[in-house]
Amino acid sequence: MVVGSPSEEKCIRREIKMKFFGEREGMTRRQFFKGAGMLTVSAIFLGAFSKLGFDAFAASTDYIEKRAAGLYALDEKMAIRKSHENPEIAQIYKDFLSPGEVKPVSEKAHHLLHTKYGKDIPNFITELKSKQNEAA
Amino acid sequence: MSNIKGKVLKHGTQTRTMHWVHLIAFTILGLTGIAFYWNIDIIGNIFGGFANASLIHRWAGVVFTVGPALYILLNFDRFSRFIDTISNFSKEDFQWLKVMGGYIPFIKVDEAPPQDKYNAGQKMLGWMIIFGCILIILTGFPMWLWRHSLPAAFLGFCYDIHFWTAMIMILLVGGHFFLAAIHPKSRVEFSSMMLDGYIDAEISAHHNAKWFAELKEAD
Repeated sequence: MVVGSPSEEKCIRREIKMKFFGEREGMTRRQFFKGAGMLTVSAIFLGAFSKLGFDAFAASTDYIEKRAAGLYALDEKMAIRKSHENPEIAQIYKDFLSPGEVKPVSEKAHHLLHTKYGKDIPNFITELKSKQNEAA
Repeated sequence: MSNIKGKVLKHGTQTRTMHWVHLIAFTILGLTGIAFYWNIDIIGNIFGGFANASLIHRWAGVVFTVGPALYILLNFDRFSRFIDTISNFSKEDFQWLKVMGGYIPFIKVDEAPPQDKYNAGQKMLGWMIIFGCILIILTGFPMWLWRHSLPAAFLGFCYDIHFWTAMIMILLVGGHFFLAAIHPKSRVEFSSMMLDGYIDAEISAHHNAKWFAELKEAD
């Protein structure tokens, strides 16, 4: 190709037309410090948030331990500590829930002392209302 | 407009891959989160019911966390350059913000001030996305892994932060999608992040004049 010839000019034009600018590589010192700084800030953020979580967990555990200790202390002071040894309960069974004997989970005790939860409640209310109507 | 004809590689392969991974994870997280927060059966059923949606949400959260973490580890130079760019607010950036880059119809602008690789709006979005992601990740994992041992008050705090950050992020990403893929002035950028990474030099010279000048100088 002759220098300055039309074919060279054409090539140069094509080169200009097809110019590609690639991505810059590497980093400057400032960029490094900013990148590392961002990671450090994130790590500090993670640390502070974790500390908040650990403190909340410790405070909660401390509260639960104190509450449990309080309940045990109260329980230890009680004269009667087991429901089946409670003479009043035994009397209720003898007089009413299972006449003449102490029979836990008697039919009457089952119906009166056991309750319903969640989806069973609407049906239970209907049952109680119908019994109420029958009694009236 | 510059009369330079050519292409500029704006986003490398790894950056685009990370963007795709994060986009897919974010979309799944957003949809599943909305489904079980508001109890929307239609969305929940897409993921096979609420129990599956919850499971998918958690593992998408892992991808949402590990994706950028791996990218930063493997491309620390790119990450550092990105942080450098978005933390560099010059006089032109504030001027750009004053006229909102000419994107608002009733603010008349002949020529928006020259911008870096990312304009002032994108820089602000970058910071909000970074801090939003950190908050969502930090609050998300305790809700999953330590929900049985953490006190209810702390978990409630995590739920509130997680929910409100997610709402703001969804709105931000919606705006980002509108400007990057739909708005006639800027949708030319769409293919550079979603497809081949290249953008016309002419467009770059106009939208990111400062960055393009640096590229020309280095060339």
